[in-house]
Amino acid sequence: MAAPILRIENISKRYGKKDVLQGASLEVNKGDLKILIGPSGAGKSTLLQCINFLVKPDEGRIWLDEQEVHYAHKRDLYAYRQKVGMIFQDFNLFDHLNALENVRIGMVKVKGMGKAEAGERAVMELERVGLGDHMQKYPAQLSGGQKQRVSIARALAMDPKVMLLDEPTSALDPELVGEVHAVIRDLGNNGMTMIMATHQIGFASSLASEIIFMEDGRILERGTPDKIFNHAENARTREFCSKITELYGER
Amino acid sequence: MPESLIAIGDALPYLLRGSLVTLIVVVGAMGLGLVLGVPLAVGQVYGHPALRRLIAVYVWFFRGIPLLVLLFLFYFGPCTAFDINLAAFTVAIIVLGLISSAYQSQIFRGAILSLPEGQFKAARALGMSDLKAISVIILPQALRLSIPGWSNEYSILLKDSAVTYALGVAEIMARAHFVATRTYQQLPLYFAAGVIFLVLTWMGTKGLRLLEEKVRIPGYSTHGL
Repeated sequence: MAAPILRIENISKRYGKKDVLQGASLEVNKGDLKILIGPSGAGKSTLLQCINFLVKPDEGRIWLDEQEVHYAHKRDLYAYRQKVGMIFQDFNLFDHLNALENVRIGMVKVKGMGKAEAGERAVMELERVGLGDHMQKYPAQLSGGQKQRVSIARALAMDPKVMLLDEPTSALDPELVGEVHAVIRDLGNNGMTMIMATHQIGFASSLASEIIFMEDGRILERGTPDKIFNHAENARTREFCSKITELYGER
Repeated sequence: MPESLIAIGDALPYLLRGSLVTLIVVVGAMGLGLVLGVPLAVGQVYGHPALRRLIAVYVWFFRGIPLLVLLFLFYFGPCTAFDINLAAFTVAIIVLGLISSAYQSQIFRGAILSLPEGQFKAARALGMSDLKAISVIILPQALRLSIPGWSNEYSILLKDSAVTYALGVAEIMARAHFVATRTYQQLPLYFAAGVIFLVLTWMGTKGLRLLEEKVRIPGYSTHGL
């Protein structure tokens, strides 16, 4: 068994007196798709943001490719973040740049690639997410689903080893969810390693290598989709799964 | 009132040369205010708490003291004390520029804070340093949003520049006053000065409006809802 590509050990985070994360640990192998589920406030988003240090954990250590990340060293941190792509619930496209420039800017300003070369790669990534016809459009001219696909292309252009997806379809109209799911499914089929928080358990159960149920900043239970959705040991897990199945339909 | 019209006509070329001086003072001060105001705003939003306090004191100082007092302080203070021979014209640009940097920093600060938090977050998530994220992602957007506030600042500076006549800067007001006391045609000359100021205000705000439209981000309107 190969060593995990990403190892997270005992991550904790407090805001004032509130413990939002209490010692979360996770091992992610290459090609895994880990799905985080749990009620809002469970700490899913904080965990994802701690993984690329957008939120600085109070405790805990992280290894990427068996190299510990020394996030206090700015240079190491910036290099690490390039390898960990982040997809946000509300897209966070750069509003003053068109789709092509959004995808290109990281390559040019962070990796130091030439504009032409980066431009070609950006075109490729946008075509890959089905936006070849919308490259000159600005975020305000794109639909939610298109915006999220641009943001996926923007992350992919950096050649990430792991992608973190923080409820990528929660801000979308129901009819736009499918196009984003298709792109994520495609990524998974091509072997991308991903950790995703979502409430779309139908999608989750069909793709996930492991489901992780979180509540109150803790990982309460983890296992295969079948185990978590059908034979969960923890009463809270069962309760949550049945509620969310009602909301988001049959799996 | 043919006599007064003649007085205005005679003085007009002289006054218009003064409006050139006024414009140089205003543009110079706005430029200085921009160059200083941007780092002040960035420091106040993203800086260490000690730096933020320091900038807050700077802003308080330059917003709190009347222009005329500052002009005299600078003219008779550092310049006399260190025997620096600065022209009244230069002092005017520096003092107006410092004051404007305090006001402009607050325009930029408001614009930066009005951007969604996610813009900075997404930039950092790509591996950008804070400074790069600010210069590449935050400022291009914040400066666009600052143009309406900038237009305000321009018209205020333009009118404030008239005060520099107290130092003897040969701008519009000084020239109007000079001719008026010689010819006893006070009303027509100050009227002409007022009209010149109105025209300059219109030109500047119109120019900034065009700039706002030119750098508009597609998909956003600058014309209200």
